[in-house]
Amino acid sequence: MNFNDYKIKNDPQTAAYKALEKAKAVQGKLNAVVSYVDPQARLDELKEIEPNGKMHGIPIVLKDNVNTKGILTTAGSRILGNYIAQYDATIVEKLNAAGAVLIAKSSLDEFGMGGTNLSAATGPVYNPYDLSRMSGGSSGGSAVLVASGVVPFAIGSDTGDSVRKPASFNGVVGFKPTYGRISRYGIIPYASSLDHVAFFTRNVADAATSLEVLAGRDDRDMTSLDLPVEPYRDRLNADLAGKKIGILTNVLDAIHDPEILSMFNGLIAKLKERGAEIVEIEMNQDLLSAILPTYYIIANAEATANHSNLDGLRFGVQKDGDDVDEVMTNSRTAGFGKLIRKRFVIGSYALFVENQDKLFRKAQKVRRLIVEDLKKALSEVDGLIAPAAANVAPKLNDTSLDQLSSTYLIAENFMVMGNFSGCPSITVPLGYKDGLPVGVNLTCNLYDEQTTLDLALAIEQATGLSDQIKEVA
Amino acid sequence: MKYETVIGIEIHCELKTATKMFSPAPVSFAKHPNSCVNEIDLAHPGTLPSLNKNAVRQAIKACAALNLRIDPLIRFDRKNYYYPDLSKGFQITQQFHPIGSEGFVMIPSSQGEKKVRINRLHMEEDTAKQFHYATETWIDYNRAGTPLVEIVSEPDMRNAEEAVAYVEKLRAILYYLGVSDVKMEEGSLRCDINISLRHEGSGEYGVKTEIKNLNSLNNIKIAIEAEVQRQSALLDSGEGIQQATRRYDDVAKTTVLMRKKEGSVDYKYFPEPNIPPVRLSQSWIQEIIDTLPELPEARYARYLSIGLSEYDAKILTQNKDLSDFYDEVLKFTKHSKIAANWCISEVLAVIDPLLLFTSRNKLTPENLATMINGIQDGIISSKQAKEVFPHMISGEPFAEVVERFGLKQVSDTDGLLVIIEETLDQQPQSVIDFHNGKDRALGFIVGQVMKKTKGQANPALTNKLVFEALQKRKP
Repeated sequence: MNFNDYKIKNDPQTAAYKALEKAKAVQGKLNAVVSYVDPQARLDELKEIEPNGKMHGIPIVLKDNVNTKGILTTAGSRILGNYIAQYDATIVEKLNAAGAVLIAKSSLDEFGMGGTNLSAATGPVYNPYDLSRMSGGSSGGSAVLVASGVVPFAIGSDTGDSVRKPASFNGVVGFKPTYGRISRYGIIPYASSLDHVAFFTRNVADAATSLEVLAGRDDRDMTSLDLPVEPYRDRLNADLAGKKIGILTNVLDAIHDPEILSMFNGLIAKLKERGAEIVEIEMNQDLLSAILPTYYIIANAEATANHSNLDGLRFGVQKDGDDVDEVMTNSRTAGFGKLIRKRFVIGSYALFVENQDKLFRKAQKVRRLIVEDLKKALSEVDGLIAPAAANVAPKLNDTSLDQLSSTYLIAENFMVMGNFSGCPSITVPLGYKDGLPVGVNLTCNLYDEQTTLDLALAIEQATGLSDQIKEVA
Repeated sequence: MKYETVIGIEIHCELKTATKMFSPAPVSFAKHPNSCVNEIDLAHPGTLPSLNKNAVRQAIKACAALNLRIDPLIRFDRKNYYYPDLSKGFQITQQFHPIGSEGFVMIPSSQGEKKVRINRLHMEEDTAKQFHYATETWIDYNRAGTPLVEIVSEPDMRNAEEAVAYVEKLRAILYYLGVSDVKMEEGSLRCDINISLRHEGSGEYGVKTEIKNLNSLNNIKIAIEAEVQRQSALLDSGEGIQQATRRYDDVAKTTVLMRKKEGSVDYKYFPEPNIPPVRLSQSWIQEIIDTLPELPEARYARYLSIGLSEYDAKILTQNKDLSDFYDEVLKFTKHSKIAANWCISEVLAVIDPLLLFTSRNKLTPENLATMINGIQDGIISSKQAKEVFPHMISGEPFAEVVERFGLKQVSDTDGLLVIIEETLDQQPQSVIDFHNGKDRALGFIVGQVMKKTKGQANPALTNKLVFEALQKRKP
């Protein structure tokens, strides 16, 4: 069911309570919800306004790192386990103005720092296609609530590939527009220069509509783009004639699963049939292999500073101590998970004055080089395409993948280029392997969300995979 | 042993802006604790900084007046440290690219005018205020996020007088610019003094200490002198100086150790990712420079040019609010010297200069000017003016006070002559006494005339007319 079906088939009241009911029904299996939100006040407000909002009456879910005034907002961490947000994020205001109805806040890796959703304070989120597998992260809760048919739209955030990767694992659309296209004001950060507001839908047309709702300049976010919001949905055009798509060969070379490769090649053949010109693009292999370490340094350095506000003094869970310093230390020690503390140590280490040249500043330089190489590749094509993951969602306890292999370094992490560069990037369903979904990723030029959505729509039509739902109840 | 003192000064100055450096919360002093804060000042999760354009404007004004080179590309960095008064756990500052660099000011010194170089001026945000009690610490976040500039001098000062002159000069300039209210006692201007000694003639610097908590010019002077003495004694005795931060103790009139500096703290500075570099247009910068207000030196020169004494010019210039008031008075009178006298003596004696342009002050510049013109035009005497003035302070117009008390001088020659002749007729003995050389007789007759006119006769005119009339009655 897409947005229009929702509007036609349900009044907002029914839609919201059906979604809430379903969220509760699947919670025992998926563990995707951090808190349910009583939609009645919002529904009463909706009765007072014209039903012409772009998301009027659409039940939605927000990742729990989105500030919602008066509602528990934990960012998946113990230290914010009692935190009631004091204000609404800009996107919450925009979603409200469009008529959306919030029904739940979803689980995430602690502060969005992870790709598995295993580090959430509320425990792992399970994949609706196979409950013994992970949802992926960090926006795992949002991904599975869209995939399992609870809501047709959920907000996530994408710092490495935290929306685009779980989209692949759960057979839904995950879209991260250009950096600055959607305001970050009110999103509890991970790493400011890499954080993007992104979202899940079940089809490309809904993604286009959603972008119209969420995009736009916000004076509260100085990195927000001062560009007009375009009618992406009305302009959607799946015609591939004259379109040039580049296959990222480095990624394909790093994928060894024949089924994934054959699905991908099948798609490429269909895109050619539809008139697209397909070229092979090879990026600098050394630079691509450096993506993950570069990301680790920059993201964790920014994160360690970004989370220094969490000291238990003004908000959050406070632990006792003999003096103020001890209160801060005790609150932070008890409040953060082990993985987060490890990342803070790495980030701090990279920022030590004696290490900055060889770590932090070097990482910034490598980031620039990677972005230059990506832009060079994109200058020749309308979009770059590759499978969004080397394989289907891993088992919860699967640690078999060699973290120094190109499969891991490149195939599993190349989408971070979208965060380094800020380029718009979308994952749409590619197909199923043994009943488990796999996605395909498309990255386009900066500010060109229209082409991103157009090509994504063409892919969606080629695969025939839209509005996929995996019932688990 | 003879040592040369080397002094460098860091000044933190709160900018006068309606809102904070990176948040729309109001900046205000003396409000109820934690009433001028929002989610950004408290560093609630997810908040982002938005640069206050007016703070940048204020910083540019300061840069221009201090001859600093202005960087049109505004960039900010994070200075990371944990402290209860720092809500974000980092301060947003300009470590790598200060808005202003390489400037100077001229200060008076015992060897005449002296140039003090300024290394940099950068923008940053203030911290919250902590209040420590026996078992609790209370924090007021009203100050958190208040726009600041930090101005760092080169180590160009050689004694306490020069240090005081430098701070005085900067205070005056920043106040004239309207950039800050520069109140040391309230902390809107704070000085850290770096001080070291070296053998005279030595080209190298000695080990320095930094003195904090200096809340008046007088304390700066005493603290430096005490610290020079302390360091000299240590050097004389062969002990070295330990690099440290010291605090001035107002009661003991000496500096006390706050913390030793064992290597410097690593603040892990890195560029602030939430504020992209902002390119200022050259025309915007130029417009600010072109519309800079008059600075103290220019005003002093202007006063000399309109005939004020150096003393009056200095007193007025040192007190900008009074001087602004004086300038307003000058719009309504051409008698600049008398107006200056009135402002410096009478106005200053009864009205706090800070209140001159508030609704609590009822004395308008125009009313004062009207009175000064009245004195010069002979409408009232200077003596009468002293009686009139207190009523004008409570807001009564000059003309009304004069009317109400019947103070108007009689300067009508014909009218006075009638009264004088009448008086002389009544006092023949005085006429005789006058011609016998008794000067007192003149004064007596004048007194009688004043009495008859109820004091409204113009004394100088009366004196002249009585003298002439007596001459005519020579027996």
